[in-house]
Amino acid sequence: MHVGSPNSISPWPARWAIVLACATFPLIWVGGLVTTYDAGMAVPDWPTTYGHNMFAYPVLDWLRGPWDMFIEHGHRLLGSLVGMIAIGLNVSVFRNERRGWLRVLAVVALLAVISQGVLGGMRVRFDNRQLAMIHGCFGPAFFAFAVAYACFLSPDWSKVSAGRLDRSGQRILRLSAVLVVLTYLQLILGASMRHLTSQISPDFFRILVIFHLINALAIAAHIAVLRVRIAANFPRVLGLLLPVRGVLYLVSVQLALGVGTWVVKYGWPEWVSNWDFAAGYLIAAKSHSQSMTVTAHVAIGSLILAASVLLLAQTARRFLPTGASPSRPYSADRRDGANRPSGLAMEAVR
Amino acid sequence: MRFDRGCKNTTAAFLLLAVTLCGCADPPAVFVLNDAYYAHIERKTQTTFDPRSRDDIGLILASSFGEPDDPYVPLIADLDATEILDLTRVKQSSGRVWSDKIGIARGLYREHCIHCHGMSGDGLGPTASFLNPYPRDYRMGIFKFKSTGKGLKPTHDDLVRILTEGIPGTAMPSFKVLDKDEIESLVHYVRYLSIRGELERKLIELLPDVEDRLLDDALRGKQDDKYKAQWDTIRGTAREVMEKWVQAEQEVLPVPARPDGWQDPETMRASVEHGRKLFYGKVANCFSCHGDSALGDGQTQGVDAWTRELLNDKEQFLGLAKMTPEERDRFEYLKARDPRILPPRNIRPRNLRQGIFRGGRRPIDVYLRIVNGIDGTPMPSAPLLKPGEAPNPGKLSSDDVWSLVDYVRSLQYESISNPNDHEPVVTRERL
Repeated sequence: MHVGSPNSISPWPARWAIVLACATFPLIWVGGLVTTYDAGMAVPDWPTTYGHNMFAYPVLDWLRGPWDMFIEHGHRLLGSLVGMIAIGLNVSVFRNERRGWLRVLAVVALLAVISQGVLGGMRVRFDNRQLAMIHGCFGPAFFAFAVAYACFLSPDWSKVSAGRLDRSGQRILRLSAVLVVLTYLQLILGASMRHLTSQISPDFFRILVIFHLINALAIAAHIAVLRVRIAANFPRVLGLLLPVRGVLYLVSVQLALGVGTWVVKYGWPEWVSNWDFAAGYLIAAKSHSQSMTVTAHVAIGSLILAASVLLLAQTARRFLPTGASPSRPYSADRRDGANRPSGLAMEAVR
Repeated sequence: MRFDRGCKNTTAAFLLLAVTLCGCADPPAVFVLNDAYYAHIERKTQTTFDPRSRDDIGLILASSFGEPDDPYVPLIADLDATEILDLTRVKQSSGRVWSDKIGIARGLYREHCIHCHGMSGDGLGPTASFLNPYPRDYRMGIFKFKSTGKGLKPTHDDLVRILTEGIPGTAMPSFKVLDKDEIESLVHYVRYLSIRGELERKLIELLPDVEDRLLDDALRGKQDDKYKAQWDTIRGTAREVMEKWVQAEQEVLPVPARPDGWQDPETMRASVEHGRKLFYGKVANCFSCHGDSALGDGQTQGVDAWTRELLNDKEQFLGLAKMTPEERDRFEYLKARDPRILPPRNIRPRNLRQGIFRGGRRPIDVYLRIVNGIDGTPMPSAPLLKPGEAPNPGKLSSDDVWSLVDYVRSLQYESISNPNDHEPVVTRERL
């Protein structure tokens, strides 16, 4: 199968971009575990690991060492691996890719990985939880960027022609953009709750939780509306349908994980205490189930952000006219696809 | 040229980022003064304290206990407190969260406890407002589930047990995953916070009777006698607080063995029946709070000791929606002085039909709850005959208490406790 766009002389940039995105997701999981286990300071030096060059740290000491040190050092190694993949991506893009903006974005990706690594290092050097929170917010943003970048390099991206920004397209584009803002805001709220500094008052935490809940409902309602609009107006455009379905499923899982996270961390609320399961529920601190539930909530949040960005990219590609692309008008109300731009019609595969 | 401009822009961007990140310093770790209690005593005694007294208390506490990142342990002459406050263990739990190469964890309190119990152990951590019951405020020196009598401090093992087993139905988790040394260290740190907080309260209570200043640091080197006398008063108060903790280890209530043959079904049935009579009797008087049905609906307007303070020592509270203007005014006054305090709440007696007991469900746990009561709550200690004391209709024998234990533990198995287990009417008729 040929992977690569007409503007690229090789399929390798796209392959590197996919590997970059795929390697970033486990990095987010492990980063989430570091916060869940409060293991950020398990290795108190940086960029060295207990005085050793990070890559020369004895493997057996790492594997047999304490759990928090295992995940913190593992997070650093995985981060380095992502950095190397970003370098490989840059080499490949600069050798094979003709489009200047993709070359620029490849450099941005590399700089972003480096910045994220430095940010993580500064968090350790200054033992600063605020930096940990910024590091925790920047990671998912980079993951979303990596996913979008892989999408830009895909052959389908070049094949899709830009359409005209008519009313329905405008609405979907706006909804997609708002979805990205809401999901990222949700992520920041969640990170603020996870990286609590000791001096935060109960009232402030209450506000954070309430906003997190309200925003969760807003996202759920928003994605439902977006799903309905896309299904109604572009029922055969898989480039829009797949991401919107993905976000919808992920949000459903995320809502359940959110409830689960609260329960495994703080127990059931008082109003369900008449049921025996709630009245007798015992929280097991740092247990496997607690840590995995909480970390999964973090990781799925990143996945939702990435899927939302993907949806926005696909929407913008289809509805924002560009100079280079043919932009024939079409009516969004026509559902047969015959009068739509070739990109939209081409994807109507069932 | 363009490259130069790019370099300048990049440098400027990094500098801006660095300045921004430098502004993200974590807030300093400090103990917070018990302003609500300060205001409570001021209002209760109709006194306005010298504004410097607040700083005096801060100075006394800082010089005796240090700060969260660098704690000290007060030394009291002739009082060996190393068993209750081991500085090495206190230090392991204090400060920032980190661990060394061999995995010895530090800053345990900040890792595991602070988000509920707060930096000062005031039960006002960030998550506190969502939790029911509110996280424990150690500063009053009251602990609920223990093997010592009413009003006494818990033993070391009591605290270890709570940390290890957790409290079902509350946000207090079980820390079974922590190793023994870590639990030990946390117990010492909890005691450290409790002693510090209780001394703070006692010092505030001294303020209405202090002639001049509780501690005037300016007297040092000028009027040493007066300065020494001030410190003597403070040390005496600290000794009073710490002695109780030291003595707690000797105050464990002995639990007499159960009467012989208790495992025999007939004996057990008789014990449960006897316990039932006691439950509804005037001496044990359990039903008055736990309700005729034992569903915990007998007394629903009670409050715990922590809430009582917010309500001017009232023992009944109708709930937030029915707050009297006086109660509201008082709460708002205290809230203005310490904005972190949380609204008063009722405490519900346990629903005994669920078979879930927060202090533990073993027979011995239930025995200790009945005999010792639960400190800080309306649950009283049962009037118990002393060993060798003649039978007294106004008191319970240890056998009576075991019967109560059997009855209370049997409630969850009664068919009324689990309506789904009822046999359908048709089945009964067939049988």
